[in-house]
Amino acid sequence: MLSGGKMIMNKSEFLKELSSLLSSLPSDERQEILFDYEEHFSVGKENGKTEDEIIKSLGSPRSIAKQYNASYIVTQAEINPSPSNMTKAIFATLALGFFNLVFVLGPFLGVVGGLIGLFGASIGMTLAGIAVFFQGALGPAMGSLGPYINIPFALEANPGATIFLGLGLTALGLLFSIGNCYLAKFLYIGTVKYLKFNLKLIGR
Amino acid sequence: MNIQFKKGVLELCVLSILTRKDCYGYELVNDISKNIAISEGTIYPLLRRLTKEGLFKTYLKESNEGPPRKYYTLTEEGLKAKNQLTTEWFCFVEGVNNVIRGEDDNE
Repeated sequence: MLSGGKMIMNKSEFLKELSSLLSSLPSDERQEILFDYEEHFSVGKENGKTEDEIIKSLGSPRSIAKQYNASYIVTQAEINPSPSNMTKAIFATLALGFFNLVFVLGPFLGVVGGLIGLFGASIGMTLAGIAVFFQGALGPAMGSLGPYINIPFALEANPGATIFLGLGLTALGLLFSIGNCYLAKFLYIGTVKYLKFNLKLIGR
Repeated sequence: MNIQFKKGVLELCVLSILTRKDCYGYELVNDISKNIAISEGTIYPLLRRLTKEGLFKTYLKESNEGPPRKYYTLTEEGLKAKNQLTTEWFCFVEGVNNVIRGEDDNE
């Protein structure tokens, strides 16, 4: 029978899965942990609960095992400090929930920041193109803008070139914006995929 | 409610219950999950970690209804941790309440 996309397990399947997920722990420690859950099952049954109910409220063996593994790895890093143990510990801890914060929120903000920067650059380029265009087209009539726009003397001397430079810059800026839109769309799709992958990794 | 937030408070819950009486795992889990919606399986890893940190000790005690059960009892160190966490908790709650109600001591 299926429930929420997951097979309903019985007690021995639950313990077996938990045991296999704890395979990186020393066997005596693993036995002690399994003993705790066996006790939980037997007391639960004495209190009139069914295996299904007990398993449902325990949560998935995956999320349970993740906590034991993380605390074991962290303890190992403490007892036996080495860069590789420390790295393992950091990652095991991150996987528990800080994972979301650091590995999802961090890159997400970075990507969004980068995109905002690119859009800013493209808008700036477009505006600069327009400004240069008008400087070339209207020349002296734009005297009031003089202090705000600095154009190399060679261009000032050649209004035709300035107009084309302005047009070119504007077009380039607009193209840049369009490119950014595609990039944003692509990143959006990528982010969704990454989040889905992440959810699988974290469980619940 | 946020899962991370609950996990942080769980330690205080376990310590508080054990201040009142020694408990076996199921009892602790039951007392907590009666009041807070959590995955019950996450309490055992916490019990194990806190035992290793020396906040509890465990012993086996016969039960009327089945095999002996593992009881958890608070150590001196555990009691200290409980008192400290309790103080921090009430301080935190008061602060949050002030913020929510828009009260400010400086005004």
